This record gives sequence, structure tokens and C-alpha cells, in this order.
Amino acid sequence: MRKLAALWRRHPILTTAFLAAAALTVLFTVRSVMFTVYWADPSHRDQAIKPWMTPRYVAHSWQLSPDEVIAALEVPLSAGHRKTLGEIATDAGVPLSTLTARIQAAATRLREGQE
Amino acid sequence: MTDFLLAMVPDYGAIVLMIVTFLSCLALPVPASLLMLAGGAFAAGGDLALSATMAGAFAGAVSGDQTGFALGRWGQGAIDRFTRGKPKRRALVDRAHAFSLRWGGPGVFFSRWLVSPLGPYVNFLSGASRLNWFHFTLFGALGEAVWVCLYVGLGYSFSGQIEAVADILGNLSGSLAAGLVTLFLGMFLWKRMNEKDNR
Repeated sequence: MRKLAALWRRHPILTTAFLAAAALTVLFTVRSVMFTVYWADPSHRDQAIKPWMTPRYVAHSWQLSPDEVIAALEVPLSAGHRKTLGEIATDAGVPLSTLTARIQAAATRLREGQE
Repeated sequence: MTDFLLAMVPDYGAIVLMIVTFLSCLALPVPASLLMLAGGAFAAGGDLALSATMAGAFAGAVSGDQTGFALGRWGQGAIDRFTRGKPKRRALVDRAHAFSLRWGGPGVFFSRWLVSPLGPYVNFLSGASRLNWFHFTLFGALGEAVWVCLYVGLGYSFSGQIEAVADILGNLSGSLAAGLVTLFLGMFLWKRMNEKDNR
């Protein structure tokens, strides 16, 4: 213990840095475990629709075909359609939540049809 | 900010990734890992070309490394002034120099992807301690290739869960980087503590 106190007096900055780094290591390790546990739960896995996603992005991550998602939107899209859902919602004057609900309804319908 | 950048990815994929990886190599707080995962995921969905996405991220990362290295070299004058007439400080800088000459190559390589939070500081230090430029560039480019392939590849494969991958990997690499710093500081302090005993 006296050794540690002497070390602290001789290298106050390095000792503080050491303790801070050790605390950060513990913090990040705990967070890694917490996130792993959180995301391992299947109910957290269906990625929520966000304004930055494109119809094809949603199609791929929800395992639907792009045409199915685009049809579900019920909004006319120009060719190429690399627009994000946020842009599509603004252009069509529809809230994003409406588009989300339409995609969700279509996904449920299509998945039931497969079974 | 993150959502705004993510929304830019499908339209300007390669350019956004280039800018973001460039800035992240200079220690600026941008979500480079998440955006590379998103780039991979958009490529999997068919919105982006995989090769262009990777090339953009790689080009930004390598030029960011070079900028950091050049800044470090430029800052060497400041280090010289800092140590002039102070043998203790000089000894510390000499030790850092010897360390980077010995571990420079692998240090640069692994700080690109495995302990990526340390990457920017390794860039500055490599420049300041006059690590061989060719060595730095070679190991740096190899490491950045691993970083880009790893994150864009994971985004491509786990396109439905990029937020999960980003949360887990971000904390894991933070934990590794902080652990490594703890280890080095601990070893240094331990040595000093015993040196004093022997006197």
C-alpha cells in the first residue's frame, strides 16, 4: 500500500490515467455483454423501420422482395427509386408511420400466405 | 446527426463513406463503423455497388492515415521545443520513439481494425516519432483493408441487424483498446515501482 502511495506521488498523471483506463475497460466490457444479451433476444431483432432506410433496404432485411415492399407503400415511385422512406413520405405528403404500418401489414399478410 | 448521415448513404454511398472514414482517422467523432455497416447493408439490398462502397471507405481511410502521419511529423518541432533542456522529458520521448520503431508495423496494422479507437493516435505518434513512411503506409493500408472488408462485409451479411452489430462491436473494440492502454500503463508503472525499490 505504501508502495502505491509512493507511486501516486511520483507519477500522479500516469497513475490517474491508469485508473481511468482500467475503469473504461470495465465499462466497455460490461456494455459489450449487455448489448450481446439484449440483441440475442429474438423480440429485439426485427429491425424497426427508420426514415433513412430505402424500400430495398427494408425488403432485404425483412426478407421480402423489393417489389412487394414498393407495392405495399401505395405511393407512386419514379424509376431507380433510391429514395429513403423519409423522402418518400415527404414527397407523398404521408406520415412515415403510415408507410411503416403499410409495410408491416403487407409483411404479415405475405408471411401468412407462405405458411 | 447519425440518422442524417445514414440517409445520405444510399444516394452518395462511396463519397459519404470516404469523408467519414477520413475524419475518423483524425480522431473526429463520426460513426464510421456504423456507416460502413450501413454501406454493406445497402449493397446487399441492391441500392449500392459493393466494390464502389468498399473503395470509397478504403480511399478515405488511407488518406486520413496519411494526413494524421503528416500532422504528427509537422508537430515534431513542438515536441523538440517541449523536451529542450529537459532530460527527463527527452528520455520519455526517446522511449516512445524506440517503442514505435520496435512495434511500429504490427502496431499500425492492429490499430486499424482490432483496436481501432487507438488508430488516430497511432497515426500522430508514428509521424512524430519518424516511423519509416513506407512501413507505415504498407501496414496501414493492409490494416485499413481488413477494417473495411470486416465492417462492410458484416453489414452485407447481417443487413437486418446492423445496429446490433454496431452496438456490440463498438463496445468490444472500446474494451480492447482501453484494456491495451491499461496494460501498457500498468507495465510501465510496475517497472517504475520496482526500479525505485532497487535503489
